[in-house]
Amino acid sequence: MTYSSLLFIYIFLPLSLIIYLAVPKKLKDTVLYLESLIFCGFMGLRLAAFMMMYCFLNYTAGLLIYRISPKLKSIPLAAGILFDVLMLISFRHSYFAYLHGFTKLSEAVFPVGISLFTLSAIGYLTDIYKGNSKADKNFIRFSLYLMMFPRLIIGTIVSYDTFVHILRKRRFNIAEIGSGLICFIKGLAKKVIIADSLFVLNSAVKSTPLSELSAAGAWLGIIAYILCLYFTLSGFADMSCGLCRCFGFRFPNSFNHPLFGTKIRVFVTGWHIQVLQWFRKYITSPLSSMTDNAYLSKLVFVMVWTLVGIWYSFNTGGALWGMLMGIAVLMENKLNNQKRAKPNGIIYTIMSITFIMIFLSQESISTGLKYLGVMFGGNGNLADSSAAYLLKYYIVILLIAVYASTDLFRNTTARIKDMRFGKIISVVTPVAVTALLIICTALMSYSGQSDTMIIRL
Amino acid sequence: MKIAEKITAFAVMTIITTASAATLFNSGFYKGDKITFKKLAEGGFTRTISEKTADSFPFSKELRSVAAEIGAKAGEPVVNRVYISEDRLLYANEYDISSADRCAAAVNAFSSSYDGAVYFTAVPTSTGIYGDSLPSYLLPVTEKQLTEEVHNKLNSNIRRIDAYTILKNLSENYIYYRSDTKWTSYGAYCVYRTVIQKLGFIPVPYDKYAIRHVTDSYRGNLYSRTGYMESREDILDIYEYDDGTEIISCTGTDSQGLSREISLYDTEAANSANPYSLYLGESMEFIEIRTTVNNEKSLLVIGDETADCFIPFLTKHYSRIDIVSADNFGEIIDNYTNKSEYEQTLFILGMEHISEKYRGE
Repeated sequence: MTYSSLLFIYIFLPLSLIIYLAVPKKLKDTVLYLESLIFCGFMGLRLAAFMMMYCFLNYTAGLLIYRISPKLKSIPLAAGILFDVLMLISFRHSYFAYLHGFTKLSEAVFPVGISLFTLSAIGYLTDIYKGNSKADKNFIRFSLYLMMFPRLIIGTIVSYDTFVHILRKRRFNIAEIGSGLICFIKGLAKKVIIADSLFVLNSAVKSTPLSELSAAGAWLGIIAYILCLYFTLSGFADMSCGLCRCFGFRFPNSFNHPLFGTKIRVFVTGWHIQVLQWFRKYITSPLSSMTDNAYLSKLVFVMVWTLVGIWYSFNTGGALWGMLMGIAVLMENKLNNQKRAKPNGIIYTIMSITFIMIFLSQESISTGLKYLGVMFGGNGNLADSSAAYLLKYYIVILLIAVYASTDLFRNTTARIKDMRFGKIISVVTPVAVTALLIICTALMSYSGQSDTMIIRL
Repeated sequence: MKIAEKITAFAVMTIITTASAATLFNSGFYKGDKITFKKLAEGGFTRTISEKTADSFPFSKELRSVAAEIGAKAGEPVVNRVYISEDRLLYANEYDISSADRCAAAVNAFSSSYDGAVYFTAVPTSTGIYGDSLPSYLLPVTEKQLTEEVHNKLNSNIRRIDAYTILKNLSENYIYYRSDTKWTSYGAYCVYRTVIQKLGFIPVPYDKYAIRHVTDSYRGNLYSRTGYMESREDILDIYEYDDGTEIISCTGTDSQGLSREISLYDTEAANSANPYSLYLGESMEFIEIRTTVNNEKSLLVIGDETADCFIPFLTKHYSRIDIVSADNFGEIIDNYTNKSEYEQTLFILGMEHISEKYRGE
């Protein structure tokens, strides 16, 4: 089950929310845990069992690290991290496809969010090891940290202490639920209306053999890929944030309009914010602190970015994407401190990101390089009827996607509020949100869900 | 802003809870495939429940119509893999070229243990005839390619009838429904003229038939798939020719083994939920037709739903026609008849059937 399905929105969500709100405060965590188990159970009982086992092993590792003598605590830490990483690789790398046979899960079954809750689990164990955090004795609360269903699919990663703080500060009122629903439906619209259309455009380009692709087609394909990736990830992140808010939890947003900044750094600081912060906190900083050599620090920086690329894609193309991103950020820091005019900066950023993203979009480095060649007319074919056809039908959604990925809408809304036209917002918001919900429902009414994913995290 | 959030919460939760209640109280939600423990364990049921939710959802038909309108007007006119063109709806089926091997192997296996003459015709869908305008990414394998591949793989003793070329040459005529993948009775008649000559008969001329429009408001399987209200309605025809011969009996046996009398044209079905069952009624495993044609000729037809509107044309030439569902024809023949009793066997398979039945794992 995914957030973008009629089953979730119209059956699971209202029932789980009503039950959650109805039970006394002391039972809320238990109810949320049971609901999360049922949510996982919809993807297979074996998967729910796997999640319980995963939580239990990390919970036990956390307690061991916390309780045993400092000399030995590196053993449960290493075992816990090894287990988490092995599970991540096993489910995400195609080489380990046999695991599906072993667990008897169908090929389609994938522990959604494993890439993110693996980071959460490793962060938790590391924080206890370093003494920054205490191991939690409450198994249910710890399990919620890893598998709470409102944040399971591409939700926000926070440290365990922050999570507990958010849990304690939960608040319930109708405005909070409304705010959560607005955020959820905004994310749903991003996924169902924009990302799904762009997914079709990207698939249409991908279905043409690379040797027959025109330059215009290749440009359309990569633009569709970048926007689809952004709207899929930020759409699910918004849905997750919105759901959490409906259940009383306020988690920070994961994306902050990264695509049309004036520097690559703007992209880096606004893209999957907490994931990149996690890599910085748990890998870059510890490794960099081990050396005073500036070159080694830079090498570590690039290596960690490479790891980020692998985390996204589990292929060589993704690794090169990460490496190039790291190099680009370093080069920008070194060479381009002068302020650019805004349009120039935006063009520079978007072109840099586009060329680098090619490698994330391809399975391997060689196909990435070939694709890059095709974009510059390597096939001797600048444009063809196929590209013209796709441009004709997708230009509107591409323009909508470009507009929606900037901060223009947010700034306009803020300006209207500043101009004391708050009443207009009060009227327009419910109407717009309801209309978006109906449109998304209509678009999902054929199969009951929108489950196309350009990337599986 | 708080007021906007409160109103939104009220509006959205009202919609969600109302739709939720309507879905859960819809008896259709609980019908269909049972959810077994195995399915629960392996996770293969979520898609089924999602589809059930979509089908049981209040105003699902209207919502699909809205989605189709959005798809047709706002972007690429492809909705649920159906291409919405000005004239008609076309289904972009993802054919697997290797299904040709498996289909030909099944026909060859039948032929090798059969003494009579075997005829084979693959009937294209509307996309096969009118799909040239579709973007190539939607149709990586065309029906023409698939037909040629099946023909190439058939044993040399099997006589191929190229329905594709016949229909392609007549594409200006009303040979396919605009809202369905299947051919019209006229399309079937055009192919019948060639088929019956190959089978050794002279076809009944077109002007001998009295053609009756049973309904002019038929909306076919592609309409159901898209809900696109602006698709043009179709005409369901029946072709009648009074040459003195009559149907003595027409008995159908369903998959439960229950037999009952059926008719070539069940005109009451035109107003039912499945108007296409006008032709030979609801789906049957085995149909026996006996006529007053005095030639003692017998024909075994192995076909799918595509053959239904084609069969009535054959009844003017044979005293005995038995029709076996192509779904599991070997087993059905063993259960109900003996293939050595027939001098001729005609395979008449739609491309959708070939694609679905013989698709690789």
